[in-house]
Amino acid sequence: MLSIILLSIFGIVVLFLGFQKSKNILLPATLLCIAIAFAANFVHWNDAPGLYFKEMLFENRLTMSFSAIVLLSAFLVVALTRGFADDEAAQPAEYYAIILFSLVGAIMMIGFDNLIMLFLGVEILSVSMYVLTGSDKRNLRSNEAALKYFLMGAFATGIMLFGIALLYGATGSFNLTDIRGYVGTNSFSISTLLYVGLLLVLIGMLFKVSAAPFHFWTPDVYDGAPTVFTAFMSTIVKTAGFAAIYRLLSGSFEGIYNFWWFTLAAITILTLVVGNITAVYQQSFKRMMAYSSISHAGYLLLSLTAMTAQTPDAIVFYSLAYSLATVSAFGVLMAVAREKSVQSHENAEDFEAFNGLGKRNPLLAFVLTVSMLSLAGIPLTAGFWGKFFIFGTIVERGNLIWMLIVAILMSAVGIYYYFKVIIATYMKDGETGALRVPPFYRIVLIVSTTLTLLFGLIPKLLS
Amino acid sequence: MVYDILYFNKHHTSYTIHHTPYTTHHTPHTPYIIHQDFKTMADKLFYFLSFLALLSAMMVVTAKNPIHSVLYLILTFFCLSGHYVLLNAQFVAVVNIIVYAGAIMVLFLFVIMFLNLKQDDEEAKTNLTKIAATIVGGTLGVILVAVFRKAQLGTYNPYSFNSQVGMVENLGEVLYNDYLLPFELASVLFLIAMVGAVMLAKREVGDRHF
Amino acid sequence: MFPQVAPSIPQVIQLIPLNNYLWLSTALFVIGIVGVLTRRNAIVVFMSIELMLNAVNLLLVAFSSYRSDPTGQVFVFFIMAVAAAEVAVGLAIIVMIYRNSRSIDIGFLNKLKF
Repeated sequence: MLSIILLSIFGIVVLFLGFQKSKNILLPATLLCIAIAFAANFVHWNDAPGLYFKEMLFENRLTMSFSAIVLLSAFLVVALTRGFADDEAAQPAEYYAIILFSLVGAIMMIGFDNLIMLFLGVEILSVSMYVLTGSDKRNLRSNEAALKYFLMGAFATGIMLFGIALLYGATGSFNLTDIRGYVGTNSFSISTLLYVGLLLVLIGMLFKVSAAPFHFWTPDVYDGAPTVFTAFMSTIVKTAGFAAIYRLLSGSFEGIYNFWWFTLAAITILTLVVGNITAVYQQSFKRMMAYSSISHAGYLLLSLTAMTAQTPDAIVFYSLAYSLATVSAFGVLMAVAREKSVQSHENAEDFEAFNGLGKRNPLLAFVLTVSMLSLAGIPLTAGFWGKFFIFGTIVERGNLIWMLIVAILMSAVGIYYYFKVIIATYMKDGETGALRVPPFYRIVLIVSTTLTLLFGLIPKLLS
Repeated sequence: MVYDILYFNKHHTSYTIHHTPYTTHHTPHTPYIIHQDFKTMADKLFYFLSFLALLSAMMVVTAKNPIHSVLYLILTFFCLSGHYVLLNAQFVAVVNIIVYAGAIMVLFLFVIMFLNLKQDDEEAKTNLTKIAATIVGGTLGVILVAVFRKAQLGTYNPYSFNSQVGMVENLGEVLYNDYLLPFELASVLFLIAMVGAVMLAKREVGDRHF
Repeated sequence: MFPQVAPSIPQVIQLIPLNNYLWLSTALFVIGIVGVLTRRNAIVVFMSIELMLNAVNLLLVAFSSYRSDPTGQVFVFFIMAVAAAEVAVGLAIIVMIYRNSRSIDIGFLNKLKF
């Protein structure tokens, strides 16, 4: 709650800072704002207040952890925007303000206790993403991506709203606690409206986190958006979306687990298969990351399908590991692609861009390797423990071992395409000549890599 | 205290008697009767408005000229506002006209005329995709209707019915008490939309006007 | 003589079952979905989405009136507000694309693969 208020105010402050001639103050100011919000998030760590404000918001350690992940990845992504203000057409104050505002939406999604907060949070996050996707105004690819994202997102919102209306029709309330009460007391005479409504709301949410078969917008949008905002989308939107789905399913619909688990299981399998298999065939690193983000949505869904007592911890750890690795992967891509785009404009984001990176800049190559290993789930990285905990929830559920087999097969496929990047980095010869990396970048990349390794060595650190 | 209401039921040709507890809304000893003419009028109005709404919604989707689509959409909104009035939700009805038909649709019309969009005869989608999409939509509709046929929706409760629900006073009370937090946070959304729309649609140096 | 009319309960609520509203709004919603899937013109697609949102509004108002519970109608306000914000951003995106594609016709959008 405190961080929501602070972020709303800081957004306006940053907008006003944009009036100044010098744009240099904006980035440090935004970073400071996110850091303060991060600290404010933990104020009530020991006396979590539970339901807030006429049962609109819910806050406990779990929602605080999710908010912390969102704010941490926002901090890292925003730090990567260094050099943004150099472009004459760029309006950095507006970008930073919209980023701060969008975090408000993410935190609303994480802690909602009333469907209206879910709806508003989703909209705040989505509308700011539409704007940021199209922020490269002269680039037709970015424009097309923005339009596509916008139309698909609005369509998904419409479907989600119809679901919410049906839930209201069945239960007479928008409140998660009331809906839970309805499901609990009428367990033998639950209205069919509730089932249809739940399915439609789930479809709307799965659109937003890009699970197959609702993923078709993802590759084009991730590809067309400016790389910083792709990183923003694939970390913050995913984390917030999964926190919201978890909250919805565990908060209200645990009583009808037998109804929704099979739907979710089918979607999970489809997501895992489609994401991993299609990622193998990609030539562009950015598109590959788009499909890999779809496959990671599959792993998170796996844990939601199991829905055991360990699920929240598993999702938190996995989101953290995934966000850190993704931020460093996109950071390296930006550092390399920027260098490359000075010389030639085409294919700056292909795998070939990484050729010979091991010799040109050992630090970047190391960061990229660690992040790829973490995404693939190799031991000694955070990604391994993330997958370990996720698979642990499935084992705990017991009757879903067949899903575990599919998931392990698919992560083997994943290792193939992640290693393709590492091979390009170390084995292939590319351009020579040292690659210069701005110090700011270096700090961000070192921080995220260190955290990845740290959580890989000592997973108990987060508890 | 209990008193009787004479209530004409369409399906039974006799008068049925309902017992309702005394409420402050009614004066005792004056049983009220719904006259048949009045009844069938509301009935007919519902079906007429529904038919018109569906027809104009179809026209929105099928019209070749985007301007016609906008005008049909406005007609749909007026029909829906009629429904809201029938449902005793006067405030929503008025806001629907002012916000949707008045503001949002004018924005649409403005952009269409601004960009000088004519008849779009270049519909690139083949008939095959159109038929496929219609089949998908139709199937979805059939599934939904089939599911809703079984739904027990219940009906109004004549004892606790409050006809003042849709009035400004009641809605304002709920909006500014229970829903104050989302109400305030909606302003964040508007700020984003404002900043974003200006940022995206602003003319940069060197861009042409239109 | 004109008979006294029931003062508290609107006739429609007494005469029309709630199911009819459910079917009406489902029909509107499906028409909206078909519009999104069949049309290529971005503005018409967008209008179809508005149609879907209005189907939701009708359903919420119907439920809220039959149950005499004001929260449903309050939700409708939020949907209208959000729709207005979405329209502003969406039309800005369309204007931006139009300016970049340098054509009088918006037919360029046909290149989008859905």
